[in-house]
Amino acid sequence: MNSRAIIATFGCCWLTVYSVTLAQELLVVPPPMEFETSTEHYAYLLEQADGGTQHTMETIPQWSGLWETDGNNNNDIFLEEYTDERIGSTVRGSVRSGVLTLPYEEAFRERRRQAEETGQQYYDRLTHCEPPGYPRHLREPYVREFINLPHQSWQLNDLGNENRRIYIGQEHVNVYATHSWLGDTIGFWEGDKLITHTVDLLPTDYFRSQPLTSNQFESVEVWELKTLENGEERLEVQVTFYDELSLVKPINAVYRFKPSTELMEIGARIRHFECETSSNSYLSEDGRTQFHLPGDPEYKDARGYTMFPELPGQSRDPIYNTQLPE
Amino acid sequence: MKNIDVWGLLLTGAGLVSAESLPAHHSFVQFDQSTELIMSGEVVRWAFNAPHSWLYLDVEDNDGDVTLWSFEGSGPVSLLRRSINGNTFEPGDRLTFMYCPIRDGRPAGHLGWVRLEDGTYIDPSDGGCAGDEETIERWKGWLEQGFASNRDAMAAESH
Repeated sequence: MNSRAIIATFGCCWLTVYSVTLAQELLVVPPPMEFETSTEHYAYLLEQADGGTQHTMETIPQWSGLWETDGNNNNDIFLEEYTDERIGSTVRGSVRSGVLTLPYEEAFRERRRQAEETGQQYYDRLTHCEPPGYPRHLREPYVREFINLPHQSWQLNDLGNENRRIYIGQEHVNVYATHSWLGDTIGFWEGDKLITHTVDLLPTDYFRSQPLTSNQFESVEVWELKTLENGEERLEVQVTFYDELSLVKPINAVYRFKPSTELMEIGARIRHFECETSSNSYLSEDGRTQFHLPGDPEYKDARGYTMFPELPGQSRDPIYNTQLPE
Repeated sequence: MKNIDVWGLLLTGAGLVSAESLPAHHSFVQFDQSTELIMSGEVVRWAFNAPHSWLYLDVEDNDGDVTLWSFEGSGPVSLLRRSINGNTFEPGDRLTFMYCPIRDGRPAGHLGWVRLEDGTYIDPSDGGCAGDEETIERWKGWLEQGFASNRDAMAAESH
């Protein structure tokens, strides 16, 4: 994010950060009061909204089209004295103490050390085709679609084919008896604002070269479509992250999305994403990222043949029909 | 090879970098980003696939031996924003390009910029090598002086 950070503290327990972007102020709006848990937080907001607005197909806010990320305050939260100067593709900065619990702060410091050495952490779990998961889902670039229906909202991220479902006016359920990449999300509408509660998440991270999260991570979000002074639309989400294992206290974050004008103008459409048959990057013995190349036994030919090459029409490169040498 | 708007490519490429730290699904530590080299070759395949595009070219050395080289580029969606698509490179196209080599010496690297047969420059890079407008402009000057390595060019400039 091309921004100037102004740090401020509200009360004793909330880390609240303002980020001023060159284009438009990206401001963290903290919750109206402190909460011990995300469940208390969500219940309070639901009560304040008198159970929420029951939208119909005619009244439900429409956030149609393709969207892309447009800033966040992750660096403001986790780094101090950082600048736009980059080491490789990572901004320079030092770890902010007192935000993460000690083991998670140590893990983050190691990621930062690797970034200082090489420009990035040595290895990213997405390399072996893990999905981004939550909260990384909020930050990953590429293409988004937001589909609001009266009984559900769908938040689609082309990376990893992540389909986040928000169940409107419902309670949490966990019939799988485990946690998942995007967890279980319920929500309600307060006018044009969508308020969500997410639980039952697998441990992930905020982004590459950013901190890790635990399997106790939960969140409360407030989504709202805003119009900038120049008339452009931005979809903004104010988030409070709760995680007693990784966070010293809850943190407030903001993420923003903008219409993906370039992609819509060229008629780009989201295609099914997978990397099992197309990714040749892997975790090498030295703990770093390495690549299989054509000719390697482990090389995966994304445009090669299926498991049935003897049959006609089994090439995955049907337009150009290229072949790589064995 | 398709005609594309080079100014659009440069402008949208610059915007992408400022919008978000460079996206990818893996780290780029295995590419030596401090080394930029020039190479020419004939396209064997342009794999415009997620999560990363790969450009495969036959490259002939001074002895006439041909080797298949593999070069990683950015993901399809990022490239579409730069007006680069699955038809931008076609088998048989002859390209000159800049890349950052893989550290273990195999015939591979990460794409910086690519100069098409009509002389336009495009930026298919991701976080493993710089292909932005500033890099292209710097290299145009070095190419005119006959350099094929940034280290050689910088060494000459320092004298």
